[in-house]
Parts: sequence; structure tokens; C-alpha cells
Amino acid sequence: MALTLLRCLFASWLLLAALPEVCAEPQVVLVSSERGYSYSEAVEAFKRELERAGVNRQNILDRSLDEPIDTTGASLIVALGARAAEQRAAHGSKVPLLCALLPRASFERILQKNGKRTSSTLSALYLDQPIGRQLDLIRLGLPKARFIGLLTGPGSQAELGDFRSAIAARGFQAVVAHVEAGEPLFPGLKTVLDDADVLLALPDPQIYNSNSIQSLLLASFRAKVPMVAFSSAYVRAGALLAVYSTPAQIGRQAAVMALGVLGGRPLPASGQYPTDFSVSANEHVARSLDLDLDAPALNDRLRALERRP
Amino acid sequence: MKYFDIRARMLVAALVPVTLVALLMAVAFLVVRSSDYSAAHSQRARALILQVAAASEYGLFSANISNLHGIAKGAMRDADVRSVLIRDVSGVTMVTGGSPGYKRLPRLDDLEGASFGAVLGADLFWQPVMAVPVPLDDAFEASQGGALPGPALLGQVVIEFSRERLAQQEFRMMAVGLAVSLVGLLLGCVLAVQLGRGVVQPILRVSKMVERIGGGDLTARNQILPHDPLRKLQADLNCMAEGLQLGREDLEIRIRAATAELQQKKDEAEAATLAKSRFLAAASHDLRQPTHALGMFVARLAQLPGPPESCQLVENLEAAIQAMQDLLDGLLDVSRLDAGAVPVNLKAMPLNHLFDTLREAVMASASEKRLRLRVRATSLWVTSDPVLLHRILLNLLGNAIRYTSQGTVLLSCRLSEGGKRVRIEVWDSGVGIAPEHQQDVFREFYQVGNSGRDRTQGMGLGLNIVERTARLLGHPLALRSNPGCGSRFTLELPVAQAQAEPPDGPHTAEPVAQGGLDGLRVLVIEDDAMVAQGLAGLLESWGCEVAVARGKAEALALLPLGRGPDVIISDYRLGRGENGIDVIAALHQAAGRPIAACLMSGDTDQTLIVLAREAGLTLLHKPVRPAKLRSLLRHLAASQG
Repeated sequence: MALTLLRCLFASWLLLAALPEVCAEPQVVLVSSERGYSYSEAVEAFKRELERAGVNRQNILDRSLDEPIDTTGASLIVALGARAAEQRAAHGSKVPLLCALLPRASFERILQKNGKRTSSTLSALYLDQPIGRQLDLIRLGLPKARFIGLLTGPGSQAELGDFRSAIAARGFQAVVAHVEAGEPLFPGLKTVLDDADVLLALPDPQIYNSNSIQSLLLASFRAKVPMVAFSSAYVRAGALLAVYSTPAQIGRQAAVMALGVLGGRPLPASGQYPTDFSVSANEHVARSLDLDLDAPALNDRLRALERRP
Repeated sequence: MKYFDIRARMLVAALVPVTLVALLMAVAFLVVRSSDYSAAHSQRARALILQVAAASEYGLFSANISNLHGIAKGAMRDADVRSVLIRDVSGVTMVTGGSPGYKRLPRLDDLEGASFGAVLGADLFWQPVMAVPVPLDDAFEASQGGALPGPALLGQVVIEFSRERLAQQEFRMMAVGLAVSLVGLLLGCVLAVQLGRGVVQPILRVSKMVERIGGGDLTARNQILPHDPLRKLQADLNCMAEGLQLGREDLEIRIRAATAELQQKKDEAEAATLAKSRFLAAASHDLRQPTHALGMFVARLAQLPGPPESCQLVENLEAAIQAMQDLLDGLLDVSRLDAGAVPVNLKAMPLNHLFDTLREAVMASASEKRLRLRVRATSLWVTSDPVLLHRILLNLLGNAIRYTSQGTVLLSCRLSEGGKRVRIEVWDSGVGIAPEHQQDVFREFYQVGNSGRDRTQGMGLGLNIVERTARLLGHPLALRSNPGCGSRFTLELPVAQAQAEPPDGPHTAEPVAQGGLDGLRVLVIEDDAMVAQGLAGLLESWGCEVAVARGKAEALALLPLGRGPDVIISDYRLGRGENGIDVIAALHQAAGRPIAACLMSGDTDQTLIVLAREAGLTLLHKPVRPAKLRSLLRHLAASQG
């Protein structure tokens, strides 16, 4: 009995002695572009999800770009934001890197810049919503819409083909105008607004940005063409509808992907669109356009459509 | 003029600060208000252009001319906006409103700005139209790393703002400011004048009072008013005037007292002098009688034959009597000068004649002392009294001879002061007078080095008489002398024009009556028995028939006896209140014919001389020198006969 007790005590001592070792070598390293609210939210959701899965919180090293980062012994690095992704991609570490909380266009630019391809050690979780989900939302929210207006710029030109086919697949017709860098937006915008029933904003910063959004929204409002956007900020600025993923949702999905890696599975070989999402609507704009929109209901219907709980 | 000055100064003192304050306040008010207006104007313009720029954002974004036109029209509604111009980012003018007065637009990429007075009477404001950024704060934008594409500049708004209204406002304000300043100034003036009057009036009152006091009116008093700011000064001034008045009155009383005292002292002194003179006159008169008689007796004694010792004694007696008579003459002169009884009879006279007379008078004594007497001839005339001038020069010459033991005595004259005056000089080569004695020699009875009063050196009256007589005549007398070097007396006289006839000198040679006195009947009227006896004895010794009467009654009683007298010699002052003039007149009346007569008197009274002259009688002063009497008797006898 006493011997058993002694053995237990010895085993406990061994475990306690081994603990610093466990702490010193984290399993996952989180690198955020900055310490903003969105990043904190994503980091917290990520950690909680891993914790829920049994990973000790202490094994998750949480750093921002301006702090020294030691990835020794890590199984996975998760880069949050475009800047963190760019920095880690350029680092050339052997540790698998998952980039999250960045638009697809940004990720592809990073790959191109570093001459890399998506692989089991380098993958991404996009911030963008798949075009199909946006088109589904338009169908649910604006059932009368037939013509989907697209204003493309240099950053979205490449995906135009995919967009067109997705639009056509859902029975819509695309009204497309292209604006080159440095050109005035209005002529192209006018072409789109003249014919389209809804303006689908694309995450192309050359077209849609803080400086242009006011005029774009005003022009679309005057033309009575509602804008469907990709971020809640656009809804607050005056877009009618938006489907988007919150940082927490992204964080949770990234955690799931990390658990896969920790569980011995490789990273998905292609970039992933977020699976979880939210829908928000600007009721004032809806009222002005004589529309009756219920964002939570739309959210539920869209989830139901994608068979999500 | 003085009062005006005080008033003007008070006014200036009160007005200058008021004016300065009014001006400063007006200027400060105008400057502050003007800058306020200007700032408000700019602020309004700036607000308007900001509004136009903000409103033009969508119009420029969408190249919406009608939208921009509406905005420009709206801006033009502002009364101060002269022109509005909106152009797009490429510099193409989208809209123009109003009539722009500027020649050159600002650069398109200029930030907001303003050019004041760029156009005549207007300011130019320009404002870039920028796309208003809407913060999206999403990961999409953040992924771009902050480099946002697309030009933020949409275009530019240029507004011309008129300053017309501003100028009008400023002008109005300036007018109001000026009016307020003027009203303030006017009020200030009124106040200053009022206040000034309150101060100036009392000062003027004080000034007038001081002027009156200065003019000698010590009764001047100012009324003390209850609200007078110079009340204390007025009261003090009144006190001062009162004090001055009392002081002056006191001083006047004291001066009067002192004057009275002085007058009394002077009167006493004069009375004393007069008493002295009277005493002198009386003494000399009383001395004259016995001396006169003595002279008569000695003259008679000299005529008597006797031993040589007796003759020598008689000669000494005569010399003593001569000295006594000189003394009495000197005293007579002094007493007459004291009494102011010497008449001055100024007239033009030739000096030469006088000099001749003087030479004759002193020649004998000079040659007696073996002195050289030189008298320089002259043709000058002077204005003086011949008798008194003669006496002065005679005295000076006598003195010169007396104090000169050897050498020369000189009498000369010459013109001085450019021919206006004549200086008569008496030089001698005598002992001289020391400077310390030169003032004293003119005092009565003063003799240098004759404390023992040696009779042969005179009595010390001569220079005193000379000085007083010269003063009486107004002829300055000067002495220049040094011990051992002789003396020089100088008399200054006014020159006179030469005249044709020489006036009669005092010593005109009388025609000496020839013939003896034998058988001449002389009536002597004399109350003094001794004098009568002496005179009668002398006359008888000269061969005259003498009758003596003691008074008028005796004289009249003697008249019917015989043929009556040829000559009457009468004393002036007779006993029982009778006088010689009356008695002679009575005798003339009683005799029924004029009888030659002469008066004798010991009195030196001037009135007596006048009376004698009026009565046509010769006056002989006692003691009468026998020789002179004899000569007169001869003369009278000659005129009688």
C-alpha cells in the first residue's frame, strides 16, 4: 500500500517535472496582424474551441506581429490577417501555416509573391463568402431580382468567369461593367445601375473602399438599385443586405482545422470559404426601397438552404 | 489775458485726457469691431464654401450638371456671393454662376484657401471637393495595408465673395463710432468746462484779491463761500490781508510817533541853534558897545602927544582892538549865516574887476611877509553875488598869505567843462594841509596845529565862512593840498555872457571927500554914556563941535539952539523904546530941512540894514573904525555942503 502510494507520488513528481517542458513547446502558435477587436474576438473563439477539444490553453502561443515569435516545436502556425499571413509565408518555416481572416484575393497575392501554392502545409480560410451564398441570399431577400449588376476592377477581373457561371446557374442574368485603375467609377456604375435590379458588391478594394463607398451607395440609392455587400460595415454604411462571417465564426472554423492538423491530418490542399456566416440588413434602406426584410429570418433560411443548424 | 491763460490751461488739462480716451476708445472699438466683422465675413464665406463643396461631392462624382447647377444657384442666393465656379478633378468647369471678376483660377490641387482682395472689392475662396471617407473598419480593407486606390479629390469649388456689404457695415460702424466719440467728447467738454469753472473762478477771485493787496488795498477781503474748493486759501488770504493791514497801521502809528519825535528833536536842535545864534548876536552886540567906545578912546589917545613908551602902548592897544574887531566881524558873519540872514544877489559880473580889488586889498599884507602875489588877468564873466564872492576870495587869499612864509600866492581862473563853468583857483606855497585835516579845516574855530589858539593865526572862522557862503551861492569848493607842498582851493562858478557895463563893485572907490572936519557941528544921539563920551571926545579931537543927546526929547530940545547940526550920528537902539531912524526923522521934521545923518548899531539884524536903506541912511556897525567914521563924516559934510 505504502509502496503504491510512493509510486503515485513519484509519478506525480515526474508529471510535475515534465510540465514546464509541455509549456515551453506549444502545439499551436497564433500570429495576429494586430491587437484589434476583430483579432481578439477571433483569437478568443479559436482558443475556446481548442480548449473545448481538450487542448491546454497554455499550449496555444498567442502573439502579434510586433512581438518576438518562437515557433520551436509547434505543430501549426495560424496567421490571422493579411499582414501576419504575408510575414509567416515569407518566413519559410517548415511548420504548417494556416492563414485566416483575410480575403481570398490577398491570399492569392501572397502565394504569387512568394512563389508558393496551396498545400498541406500552407492553406487558408478566406474571409470572403462564396458567390453562391450571396446569390442565394439575393434570391431569398429580393425574390424579384433578375439582373445581377457587377462592377469589376483589376482585383476581381480574374474571378469574373466564375461569377458569371454561378449567376447563370441560379437563373440570374449578369450586368457587368469593368473599371480600370484610375478611371472614374461613375460611367461604369451608371451602365450597371441602368440595367441591374441589384448591385452585388465584390471585395475588390480598387472599386469598393472607404472613399468610394459613399458615392457608390448614393448613386445606387438614387437609381433605386439596392446593394448587396460582403461585410456588416457596408450595411451600416447604407448597403441593403450583407452575408459575412464574423471573426468569432472564422476563429472557430480555424480551430476546427487546427484540431485536424493536431490530430495528424494535413491541411486542406485548397483555400476554404467560411462555413459559418451571418446575415444583416439595413432596415432604413429597406424601408426607403419599400422592402420588408428580416435579417434573422433570412439568416435562418440561408442556413437551412445550406443545411446548417 | 492772464485769466484767459488759466482758463485755457484748465480747459486743456481737462480736455486732453478726455479727448485721448475718447479717441483711443473709438479707435479700439473700430478696430475690434472691424476685425470681428471681417472674421465673421470670412467665417460665413468659409462655411458657405464648405457647404457647397460638401454638397457638390455627389454631383462631381456623378458629373451631374443639373445637380451642381442647383447647388451653385443656391450659393448665389447669398447676397455677398458674386460668383460660383465648380470644376471637376480634370479641371473642366462644370458650372459657373454669376460673373467672375478674377482673371486666374487657383491651382486645382491647392488645399482650401482664400485670397483677400484678389479682385476689386471681393475675396476669393476656393475649396477642394473630396470624397468623404466612410470608415468601414473591416478585414477586407485592412488587408490592403491602408493603401486605398482611387482619387479622393473630386473637384474644386471657387467662390467670389463681395466685400461690399462688409464695407458698408464698416462704414456704418465707423459713423456710429465717430458719433459716439463726438458725443463723448462733447459731454467731456461740457463737464470739463463746468469743473474748470469750479476751480478757475475761485483762483480768479484769489488772483484779484492778491492783485488788490499788491496794489496796496489792504482792506480787500474775499467772501468765503461754503462750496469753494479754495476755501482754506481764501480764509488764509483774508487772515493775511488783515494781518498786513494791522501791521501797516501799527507801522504808520510808529512812523508818525517817530516822525513827531524827530520833529521835536529837530525843533529843539533848531531852537538850540537859534538860541546860540541869539546869544552870539546878543553877546556880540553887547561886546560891540564897549569895544566901540574903546576904539574911540584909543583913537583919541593916539592923537595925544606923549612919551614914546606911551606911543608904543597905544599902538599895541590899537592892534588888540583891531583883532577884537575882526573877531566880532567874523562872529557877525557866522551869526548871519546861521540865521539865514545873508541875502544872495546873483548877477553877471566881470572877474577882472574883482581880481583887481582883491589884489589891492591883500597887496599890503603880502609884501609885509615878502611874498610874491600874482593875480592873473582875465576877461571872463561869471554869475555870482559880487559881495559874497569877494568875501570868499578875500578870506581864501588872507588865509593863503597867513599860512605861507615864503614863495608865491596865486589867484587865477580858467574855463572848464567845455566852457560852461569857470574855476577860480587860489594857490599858495605854504605849509599845506594833511589829508586827515582837509575836512576839518572847514569847521568853526578849527585850526590845524593851533591848539594854543595863537591870536596871530586868526580865529578859525574864515574857512568855515568861506565854505558856508560857497554853499549858499551854489559854488562847489574843493581843496587839494599836501603838507609842505602848499594848498590849492578851487571854486567853481557858472560862466556868464560878457556885458557892456561893469556892475558896481562893493568896493568901488568912494570919492574921497577932501577937506577937514573943523567946525562941523555934529549931533550925537547915544543912550550909552560911555560910548557917547568916547565918540564925542574923538569928534572933538578932530575939530568938530559936538552936541550929545541921550534920546529924542533931548535931541529935539537941542535943535533950536544955534544953527542946528550939520550931521547927525545916531545909535539905532535908544532907551525907552526909541530908535535912531524915528529920532532922525523927527529931527528932520522939526528942523524943516534934511540933515545929513548916519546910523550906528551893534545889531547885526538884517531887518535893520533894510530899514536903514529904506530911510536913506548909512549904517555903521559897531565897533566903528575911527578912520572909517572920519571918512564918512567927510563924505557927509561934503554932500551937505
